[in-house]
Amino acid sequence: MKKRTGIFICHCGINIAGTVDVKSVAAEMAKEPGVAHSVDYVYMCSDPGQNMIEQAIKDKKLDSVVVACCSPNLHETTFRNAAKRAGINSFKCEIANIREQCSWVHKDKGKATHKAAHLTKSAVKKVQKNESLEPISVPVTRKALVIGGGISGIQSALDLAGAGYKVILVERSPSIGGHMSQLSETFPTLDCSQCILTPKMVEVSRHPNIKLMTYSEVQEVTGYVGNFKVKILKKPTYVDPAKCNLCDECTKVCPIVVPNEFDVGLTGRRAIYIPFPQAIPASYTLDDKNCPDPFTTIACGKCADVCKVKAINYDMKPEIIEEEVGAIIVATGFDLYDKENMAEYGYGKYADVLDGLQFERLCSASGPTQGKILRPSDHKEPKEVVFIQCSGSRDPELHCAYCSKICCMYTAKHAMLYKHHVHDGQAYIFYIDVRSGGKGYEEFVQRAVEEDGVIYLRGKVSKIFEENGKIKVWGVDTLSGKPIEIDADMVVLAQAMRPSNGAQELAKKLKLGTDKDGFLAEAHPKLRPVESVTSGMFLAGAAQAPKDIPEAVAQASGAASKAIGILSQERLYHSPTVAKVLKNLCTGCGMCVAVCPYDAIAFKDGKVEVNEVLCEGCGTCSATCLRAAIQVKNLTQNQVQEMILACLGG
Amino acid sequence: MTEEFEPKIVAFLCKWCSSAGSDLAGVSRMEYPANVIPIQVMCSGSVSPLYIFEAFNRGADGVLVSGCHPGDCHYIKGNMYARRKLLLVKKLLEHVGLEPQRFRMSWVSAAEGQKYTQVIKELVKELKPLGPQTKLRRERNG
Amino acid sequence: MVKHEDVRAEAKKLLESGKVKYIIAYELGADGWKANPVFIKKPEDVDKIIWGPTCFHNLVRFVVDEKRRKVQQKNPDTRPVGVMVKGCDSRAIVILLQEKFIERKDVHIIGVSCEKTGVIDERKLANKLKGRKAKNVEFGPDENFVVTTEEGTVDLPASEIMADRCLECIAHVPVITDVLFGEKTKRTVPHPFGSVEKIETLSSEDRWKFWSEQLEKCVRCYACRSVCPMCYCDECVADTITFAVSPDTTAEEKAQKIKWLDKSPVISENIFYHMVRAIHLAGRCIDCGECERACPVNIPLRMLNKKLEKEAKLLFGYDVGFDPEKPALISCFRDEDPEDFIR
Repeated sequence: MKKRTGIFICHCGINIAGTVDVKSVAAEMAKEPGVAHSVDYVYMCSDPGQNMIEQAIKDKKLDSVVVACCSPNLHETTFRNAAKRAGINSFKCEIANIREQCSWVHKDKGKATHKAAHLTKSAVKKVQKNESLEPISVPVTRKALVIGGGISGIQSALDLAGAGYKVILVERSPSIGGHMSQLSETFPTLDCSQCILTPKMVEVSRHPNIKLMTYSEVQEVTGYVGNFKVKILKKPTYVDPAKCNLCDECTKVCPIVVPNEFDVGLTGRRAIYIPFPQAIPASYTLDDKNCPDPFTTIACGKCADVCKVKAINYDMKPEIIEEEVGAIIVATGFDLYDKENMAEYGYGKYADVLDGLQFERLCSASGPTQGKILRPSDHKEPKEVVFIQCSGSRDPELHCAYCSKICCMYTAKHAMLYKHHVHDGQAYIFYIDVRSGGKGYEEFVQRAVEEDGVIYLRGKVSKIFEENGKIKVWGVDTLSGKPIEIDADMVVLAQAMRPSNGAQELAKKLKLGTDKDGFLAEAHPKLRPVESVTSGMFLAGAAQAPKDIPEAVAQASGAASKAIGILSQERLYHSPTVAKVLKNLCTGCGMCVAVCPYDAIAFKDGKVEVNEVLCEGCGTCSATCLRAAIQVKNLTQNQVQEMILACLGG
Repeated sequence: MTEEFEPKIVAFLCKWCSSAGSDLAGVSRMEYPANVIPIQVMCSGSVSPLYIFEAFNRGADGVLVSGCHPGDCHYIKGNMYARRKLLLVKKLLEHVGLEPQRFRMSWVSAAEGQKYTQVIKELVKELKPLGPQTKLRRERNG
Repeated sequence: MVKHEDVRAEAKKLLESGKVKYIIAYELGADGWKANPVFIKKPEDVDKIIWGPTCFHNLVRFVVDEKRRKVQQKNPDTRPVGVMVKGCDSRAIVILLQEKFIERKDVHIIGVSCEKTGVIDERKLANKLKGRKAKNVEFGPDENFVVTTEEGTVDLPASEIMADRCLECIAHVPVITDVLFGEKTKRTVPHPFGSVEKIETLSSEDRWKFWSEQLEKCVRCYACRSVCPMCYCDECVADTITFAVSPDTTAEEKAQKIKWLDKSPVISENIFYHMVRAIHLAGRCIDCGECERACPVNIPLRMLNKKLEKEAKLLFGYDVGFDPEKPALISCFRDEDPEDFIR
């Protein structure tokens, strides 16, 4: 069928017409093949201008339209809507930019007019091969998944549930709470961490919209935004939470003792245990990695014997639960950089060299020493404690190159808490800088110096080692230029914040990118900090980058709001200018699959196919394919060839 | 009086960075020669080597491909693939004996209207002394 | 030394057990001294199999044809085909595996090491013999060949009559095999891209003079494409009517067929065709030299493809045809890829 394209050249007042001879361009275009109408007008984007286009489409039975005017960024939508109102598909309207890229940058009228004609011809050739397209729409499962039950995951889950959406919160340990539950007090207020956290934890357990799955891990995620299918492994706790009444009789008879993760190895726990008294769910867990012990094959049975409510069931099995969700928030948190890596600080061998979380447990009233600061080696009170900031951070040669953001603040806090507990103790902090940028943070650090007499020494510690029951610390004070030697009773290392163990494997399962340090990659470092590159998956908390609690909570709420943006819609709409496979030409070599930034292309039956919802239409696949077997709709290689010819011809 | 030779240049500009940079040059009323006709593509990664060959075959005196700076690609890494593919194209064209100035690649961001102007001016200036591109151009009959 | 009997015994075992459908091997041709490809289907025919310095052919091309045949059949025989490969040929199999054109189980790879030498170049040999006719060519004990003519036997050093690509060979022992004959000798090549470097030293204009003279000869017979195992595309982008329009070719597909260049054998179209082929072979050409050997007008095609093999190695650290799991050259990138050409 013969093409009937309409051409509309805009004067844009004198912006275009002052340089480009619009009438001659219109006249030249009228002679082009397939052009049924070619006019010029002073302001195409105005109401009369748009009406003119609509009328011409109807009167001249035009099947496509080219408007030669300003940049498409300004009025492409305007003219596409006009075309749609007149009854043709909106994608049958193309813009030729003869203003920003022509009349405004060239002085020579002849050359500018000549170029404007080429640009318009190029747009004509493109539009004449455009397909009619409709935005792609998919239904949305109006439920969310939050992976990680620390403060960030808890906040996201509460925000989503509060907005009326069903949420599944998956946490791999027996209780939610994360590292925040291990803290004693939080900066800069020094309020009790558990006191502010546990109300939120209880709210999660009680909220009708939240399905809490602890001691569970995400195994597999398939699908795409609005339509994810998730497989969750629910590990057996061997204790029925509905029956368990926290009487604690079982731990008294359990013969197996293993290091207590909650106290970061400072104490032991039994194989049947509750991580901490305020755990949610409020129930005990039998750890089947350590029970039975390596030498027997069946459980000893003592805990079941002594359980008056018969809550223990050795026959519980792991279950795979399948869920469908529309959006996923990943809040897997952090772990500390292992002390074992610190060769200069003793490879983690010395009992009295602690990391920040271990020190928190000493400070905590419910901790291994009931809040007294005591040396793990001999339970004596340390009178000289050295705190080392940047341990493992800001060290591109040996450890982590980045700054872990929170250490300056929590080290000041630790030194203050130490002084509050041990009034005649002396606290030294070795620092490179003191980074205290948050609200009230600077004042907090000043308090440590002015009120609590903490001594700040600017310099690094080159070595620490044990000698005669003391920890010898060899450092330097760069401000005075003198080397410093301290015979400390205890050393606390502010270890770097790392993405939590297992985060890398989970990121692979979710096909989420990670940065060079293993933190989850955000879509844009400035403008899209809570979104990942994968549509429908959002990031919250320390999993994305080191941060403190207020930032983690803010980001969690941000991620929840993005997720709500998806879940609140009946259907999701997506641009239809996506890639399409010409199956007859495809040989299934997979080069396109490898280059797609969105993993939108998959192998199928010896060839490939495109997931239209994930495809963003960049065209990299098309340029990679040796056979031109994959093309982007409405910008095919055929169309580009025509445009090249139009640019160069005559 | 013979007219000065005006090279015909086809430019493939990525929509999100280079074409936006070109728009900014326009909004700022910067001035550059009219020798370059831009074709907007979504991403520099979508520029097939065949486009370059076709442009030269059809008589282009110069070809420019311009995309986002590394790390800024709107589609994350399309420009990284372009960087590799188009370097291979450049090496091949030079191996066959095409003057190296005729094919150029540049990084122009949406904020770099000035840079875009610069790139065009440089390119036109380098191509003028070379004269028309006859090596790869198809001879048309009649 | 590779013994014919060993190769034949292996072939016989494979055919008798029914493990392979047939074996693609080399036999002595009708002229009595040059090898030919042969398809051995019956165990009694294995005595035809030879191995020698005239086994220039890249038999992997026939593996491609076998795959194409299988695709057409309703109930194909899924047993592998046996194929004799030299080092260079084995790298072609690696590429076909990388691109999932064949599966590992589709081939039973009978590798033959070129040990200290490689295959000869017929034209170089003819030049050396100056009118005398060769009746037999054998591998010599060292880096030489023993050539028998009607006047007797002569020892010729490899450097004088060996194929150019063998002088630059980086894989004289097959890199992937089910069985290997011959020793895994160690060889170093001082100038793996020597032939390309000769052209690189020329000026832009001299390079153009060289290539335009050479490519003007091209008659667009497409022998280079027909003989190349990597040119397995059903439809060649440079020649978009190579495959017939079938009943299920959609109107859209017909409309999308792009005619990038003309079929006429004029210099501009010839260069376009060869450049498209070279760029499509970047990271895939393993320098078996068949394109150059098959060219009826003696165009030095190797020197186009080799240039990109060199750039792949030097610019991107990319080794072509060794690792079946490696992504294609243009499907991956490194952060440190050069970008000083981008201004």
